[in-house]
Amino acid sequence: MPPRVKGEAAGDDASRVARVWELVSAQAVSRGRASVADVCAAAVISLDVSGAWVTAGDGMNPGQAMCATDVVGEGLAEVQITLGEGPCHDAAISGVPVMAANLADGDGYQWAVFAEAAARAGAAAVFAFPLRIGAIRVGVLAFYRDKEGPLDLLQFGSALILADFATMLLLDAEARQPDNPLSGAAPTSQSPDLAAHNAEIAQATGMLTEQLGVGITEAFARLRAYAYAQDRRLSDVAHDIVTRRLRLDPDPPG
Amino acid sequence: MDQDLLSDTFVELADTMVADFDVIEFLHLLSDRAVRLLGASAAGVMLADPRGQLRLVAASSEAVRLLETVQLEGEEGPCLETVRTGQPITEPDLRHAQQRWPRFAPAALQAGFTSVHALPMRLREQVLGGLNLFHDQPGPFDPADVRIGQALADTATIGLLHERNLRRAEIVGEQLQAALNSRVVIEQAKGKLAERLGLDMDTAFATLRHYARDHNLRLSDLAQTFVDSDPADFPGLTPQARRRHSQ
Repeated sequence: MPPRVKGEAAGDDASRVARVWELVSAQAVSRGRASVADVCAAAVISLDVSGAWVTAGDGMNPGQAMCATDVVGEGLAEVQITLGEGPCHDAAISGVPVMAANLADGDGYQWAVFAEAAARAGAAAVFAFPLRIGAIRVGVLAFYRDKEGPLDLLQFGSALILADFATMLLLDAEARQPDNPLSGAAPTSQSPDLAAHNAEIAQATGMLTEQLGVGITEAFARLRAYAYAQDRRLSDVAHDIVTRRLRLDPDPPG
Repeated sequence: MDQDLLSDTFVELADTMVADFDVIEFLHLLSDRAVRLLGASAAGVMLADPRGQLRLVAASSEAVRLLETVQLEGEEGPCLETVRTGQPITEPDLRHAQQRWPRFAPAALQAGFTSVHALPMRLREQVLGGLNLFHDQPGPFDPADVRIGQALADTATIGLLHERNLRRAEIVGEQLQAALNSRVVIEQAKGKLAERLGLDMDTAFATLRHYARDHNLRLSDLAQTFVDSDPADFPGLTPQARRRHSQ
């Protein structure tokens, strides 16, 4: 019987997420606060990839390169933004992972110009993971390899967990911008509460768009800021909102 | 067994696969029809996330969702076992299953279910998830129903992975990921609509599904557009429209 999905199926999700976070925060030790650059560094260590990068963007606009582990990754990020084509571009628009395990053959046909640029830069394979929580879209985490070949299912799963962390870290960074009214209440250094997998958090976020008259990304930021300010678990606050024991005030704090 | 409904269900599932495919709508059709065809009280579909956990993607009611959460948090229960072993798991009387599932069994009884049957969703060697059937009566399942249930689960597995080239394990992962993402968008849309119209989550979901069907939209696309929209974009999903509808 099978293999990876079966053995991994139940129970060890929490510990696996914790292991990935340990790796990410180990990269951040010197600066104290983890960032998407640490996610990229952790990916290179744990996924057998040559380099990693993060592009921020909502999928509608060209996006912006945030960080890369090397010049090749930097170039691959930039060239896709300039050309408007490539696996990251497709992942940002479609919202699903795009795997190009062999750019020289087959996988490269749909991005002729990008595939050529990738080959010149020394990338044989590119894997792009959208950074999203449902309708909230914040960017793409991508990897390249200098040899062709797919991610195996275990690496694919780890990449998804890294993408979850990158999503939360980008949202945190956004919330800490000085011009953001929520900056005083922004979560900081602990392992982010991975919100993508809790139906009530998603439902509560949707409810807050109406309660507060804001977009989904802002609604989620307000939900997290409230939980953080009250020192409560995000899932508990979400439960109170869904069961209509709690409503949030349209006026932002501060 | 309602033979007409049975043949209609397979035709409908096959249709869903050919036409504008929406994986969540498809899995909801599966759980709804499993209830009606197999005399179950409720049904749920769980998929194995490549991150390493099962996730509920479709359920015939919100009660099932809560029960599946008990399975995931307690790390025990029929669906976890069927995915772990690749075999059907059955418990004809949950009143005697306290030792087998100390957390799941009492929670299921409290929700009004006295027997449970979990069927694996398999693709060759790989187990992708499971179909859970809950009954409010104790007793063994009719073997004919079990065969039909497994055929429904197998059809769903093929549907889930349809049109995809399955040479590579990662592509199965991509497809599952698309389904899990759609699920989150739909939960966000349910919340938004529930708040706007003062509905419970089950009714909000039913309203979204009807709207999608009436307007020939894929449920996931509707959910995404609705979450991103202003009230004016969806005149059918406002309190006024709902009042008109119910009059």
